[in-house]
Amino acid sequence: MRRLFANRLAIATGVVVLLMSALFALLRVAA
Amino acid sequence: MWSYAVHGAVWLVLYLLFILAPLFAMLAGTLPPARDVWTEFAVALGYSGLAMMGLQFGLTARFRFVTRPWGEDVIYHFHRQISLIAVGLVFAHPLIIFAAQPELLARPEDGSVPIGALAAVASIGALALLVVTALWRVRLKIGYELWHASHIVLALVAVGGGIVHMVGWSFYLEDPRKRALWIGLVLFWVLLLLYVRVFKPLFMLRRPYRVAAVQRERGDTTTLVMAPDGHAGFRFTPGQFGWLTLWRGPFRITGHPFSFSSSAEAPGGCVAMTIRNLGDFTAQVHSVPVGQRVWLDGPYGAFTIGHPADMHVLIAGGIGITPMMSMLRTLADRGDPRPVLLFYGSKDWDSTTFREELQALRSRLHLKLVHVLADAPQAWTGERGRIDAALLGRHLPPPYAAHEYFICGPNPMMDAVETALGQLGVPLAKYHSERYSFA
Repeated sequence: MRRLFANRLAIATGVVVLLMSALFALLRVAA
Repeated sequence: MWSYAVHGAVWLVLYLLFILAPLFAMLAGTLPPARDVWTEFAVALGYSGLAMMGLQFGLTARFRFVTRPWGEDVIYHFHRQISLIAVGLVFAHPLIIFAAQPELLARPEDGSVPIGALAAVASIGALALLVVTALWRVRLKIGYELWHASHIVLALVAVGGGIVHMVGWSFYLEDPRKRALWIGLVLFWVLLLLYVRVFKPLFMLRRPYRVAAVQRERGDTTTLVMAPDGHAGFRFTPGQFGWLTLWRGPFRITGHPFSFSSSAEAPGGCVAMTIRNLGDFTAQVHSVPVGQRVWLDGPYGAFTIGHPADMHVLIAGGIGITPMMSMLRTLADRGDPRPVLLFYGSKDWDSTTFREELQALRSRLHLKLVHVLADAPQAWTGERGRIDAALLGRHLPPPYAAHEYFICGPNPMMDAVETALGQLGVPLAKYHSERYSFA
């Protein structure tokens, strides 16, 4: 259960980083 | 419960800040003309991936404020899983760029290869090796010591190659302030590594311990009692562990984590670790001579008693009994009147470590013992087999969510017990786990 939690934490972190990277790209192109 | 969630949320926000703030700092000041959206996305992935890899040094730097909100086992598993995500981002970085701009694959007319490209290849190669050796160390028959050393070297090459690639390519980092920010970040990550491998051992060197007693226990297990040599030692909370270096010196990278098995109320700063012979270096622990100098780094771990609870439920499998012994001995020394229920899974009765002392502790504690034997003789009237939901249900009094649970044992047992507690409606904040293996 705790390892499952760690997995979810890592996946959630990865998703946030992906989304923020996309935001970075959009901000760059839009500027 | 609330504080657990708040600490976790703060931890996650800070972690993301360390990754994303240096990326978004690239948007400040004057900027070179933007390229296509896919190239910019790929570049952002590269920056984020490198920052995640660099922060790996922070996750394993043994900072208590880093590991406390989740516990060491969660942090080390997160370290392992997040590395796969970071590597995925770093690998996606060139693939997307080459797909968006295939002309970049062509070598310059003079045949030279830019330093930035060479560094990228070195970084990605080191990363690939890092992942392969971490995931399949045992299958590849790589010894723990060699793997640990190569893990550090490969991580340094990966991060070093990454920063040389970024500076060598010099797009965003053309700006000297941004270049300084990223070089400073890399130096900070290396400093985290130096903290664990150089500064901490230097501190430990000044605070050695001596082996005061070596006691053979049931189940091919040895207890080392260690006394501080020329200092007062440290205070620990029952359930915590320390990194023990038995031979040569504290600069060896092969310190091993063991739970303390002694009472936190033991006089003179003495601590004990109880170590089972698992066939590796632990096979030599019984031959450590009394008086030998050893080094201890600790205490660590959030697997500790001290939370509000109507009763403590300890669930141990095999040598997972060691932190439980520390808890039981400490509770007894403190005269704690609250009930304690110990589920203790062992292979057989003869190898049940500490069984006599556990029986004796019943006179000093409100302790109920539930021994569970995997190989029980015909005449055995107690529990047999493995600890599972049905077995817990037979002995646990309701309300289940009011108790504080501590679980330590082999991974299959821990998975089964954690699932069972979930089925009984015990929230995550009410149970604590300690795994032998962080992997």
